[in-house]
Amino acid sequence: MKKNKSKNKKLRILLVLLVILAVLVMVFLFGSRKEKIKHESHSAGADQVAGKKAEITMKQVTLFFLSDNDGLLHPEEREIPESDINSEARAVVEELIRGPQTGLMAVIPGNTRLRQLFVTTDGLAYVDLSRQVTEANFYGSSGEMAVVYSIVDSLAYNFKSIKKVSLLIEGNERETLGGHVDLSNPFLPDYSLIAR
Amino acid sequence: MKRFIKLYLAIIAALILFSGQVSHLTGAPAGAKAIPVIKVSVEDSSEATRVRISGGSNLDYNLKKSSESLVVTFRALSGLKLEKNAFTSQVIKSIDLAKSPEAYLLIIKTISPDFSYTSSARKNPFELNLNLKLKSGTAARETKPAETVPKNPPVKGKEVDRSVVNQAGEPASRVLDAGPFRKKDMKTIVIDPGHGGIEIGAKGNYGTLEKDVTLAVAKKLKERIEGELKYRVVMTRDSDVVVALDRRAAVANNNKADLFISIHANGSRRNNARGSETYFLSLNATDEESRRLAYFENNSGELENRLGEQDFDDLKLILWDMAQSAYLKQSSQLAEFVQGQLNQLLNTQNRGIKQAPFKVLTGVACPAILVEVAFITNPDEEKKLRSEEFQSQVAEALFGGLNEYFRLYEKP
Ligand SMILES: [Zn+2]
Repeated sequence: MKKNKSKNKKLRILLVLLVILAVLVMVFLFGSRKEKIKHESHSAGADQVAGKKAEITMKQVTLFFLSDNDGLLHPEEREIPESDINSEARAVVEELIRGPQTGLMAVIPGNTRLRQLFVTTDGLAYVDLSRQVTEANFYGSSGEMAVVYSIVDSLAYNFKSIKKVSLLIEGNERETLGGHVDLSNPFLPDYSLIAR
Repeated sequence: MKRFIKLYLAIIAALILFSGQVSHLTGAPAGAKAIPVIKVSVEDSSEATRVRISGGSNLDYNLKKSSESLVVTFRALSGLKLEKNAFTSQVIKSIDLAKSPEAYLLIIKTISPDFSYTSSARKNPFELNLNLKLKSGTAARETKPAETVPKNPPVKGKEVDRSVVNQAGEPASRVLDAGPFRKKDMKTIVIDPGHGGIEIGAKGNYGTLEKDVTLAVAKKLKERIEGELKYRVVMTRDSDVVVALDRRAAVANNNKADLFISIHANGSRRNNARGSETYFLSLNATDEESRRLAYFENNSGELENRLGEQDFDDLKLILWDMAQSAYLKQSSQLAEFVQGQLNQLLNTQNRGIKQAPFKVLTGVACPAILVEVAFITNPDEEKKLRSEEFQSQVAEALFGGLNEYFRLYEKP
């Protein structure tokens, strides 16, 4: 009887300890998982890179260029190598700079360079262009709008994960390209400039 | 015995885990729902002025430059305290914490709007480092009370139209408060000739520059309006100089403008693009910003009580970024009248009324439009834009449009 009682006591201690242990393990796991998420947000796209295959698969994207007939943006299909979002988005903007292959018109000044492109985990794409993009003599409102929205719409249209686009010039925030469209806030796509 | 071993193992495991957890917890006392504290220090060096903002817990922040302020917005916090050491700086005038409904704003005010900054951040513990640099030519001068109007010679390397600045009068924050003390018997129209100085705007095939056309039309419009002796006219520039876009809005606001018209000639890669169009602002602002503005409009009294006068002025300057959002309806009405007149009086193709996120319109606190009269990049229209006759017709059309607008809104 006495033996049984002490056995019960030991069992109870064990149980309490186990509960404490369980709680601590959960707190520990939860805490460390949170850290892990934070860490991952630093290296967006890393997972996608890991999933890349040895042979190159191509992916079809839609680019928007200017039509000389109606002044609206029109689609042109193009194939780019399948990769992580940063590289694919990069390819899209580079193709936009390179210009159309059909009867449409280029919008971005051809000597512009894409310096950087980075998509954050919350869907904001930073597109950093060289200063040549600001040096055009066709920058009235229409010319500027066409440049901004061919980039913004092409990115948002092709990549679901891109919700907004922010344009930088030579790595810095700039007020406008040529005195009209405000670049200081990220752009949401505006598909009203695209022909229906 | 077996059970004892298990027990000991459990205790040891628990101790190991617990010790790890303790060190984890001491790093983040915010778990106990304490109000986070941010520490701010300022240090001038020959290179740049460094502002170091540190705190124990990770903070979600956003950076924005707004004229002479750099604003760090901390979002989604139930509280935030500022701990700052006294500092002397050649560049930074003040650092204050303000609260908006959904964020805390750390307002770093500098001596000049002509500064650039870089930032770097670290998490766990949170640290945000800002390096502020005055643009070359902007001499660091001693902190002056806001009331003195700057009488400095034009800043080197950039022609700044001081006459406009002086004409605009007092610093923005003062004028905003003028309210009931200012008698107004005459409506004020601010005319904004697009571009100027080295910012030439679009350029035509024959070499016509947008900045020259816009100034010529603006002068004719001014003459036309003043001829009627009904309205007061203020120009954001009346010579070939650079005027910053936010300065143009400030001219309107400082003069308590009733109407703002920005005059431009359009440009496109397409030589055959032609016609005239009138724009009013489209908000590219985030929902958060619109909510912030709505709150500001409804609760400015309350905010003022809580913040103290100086902070409140700072906050208003920041919110000025979006001043136009309160006038979109009137602006679209104005755009409609003006576009109607352009269609009637000019023989240009009607490109209609459009909306775009134009920088020059965002900060204007009155009905405001941007008119794109014909395409300077279209050879036929370029010729028109060069002719005095056409320029006068444009002025006449704009005048007709604003008269229609005032007639609609003037109630006896
Ligand atoms: Zn223009």
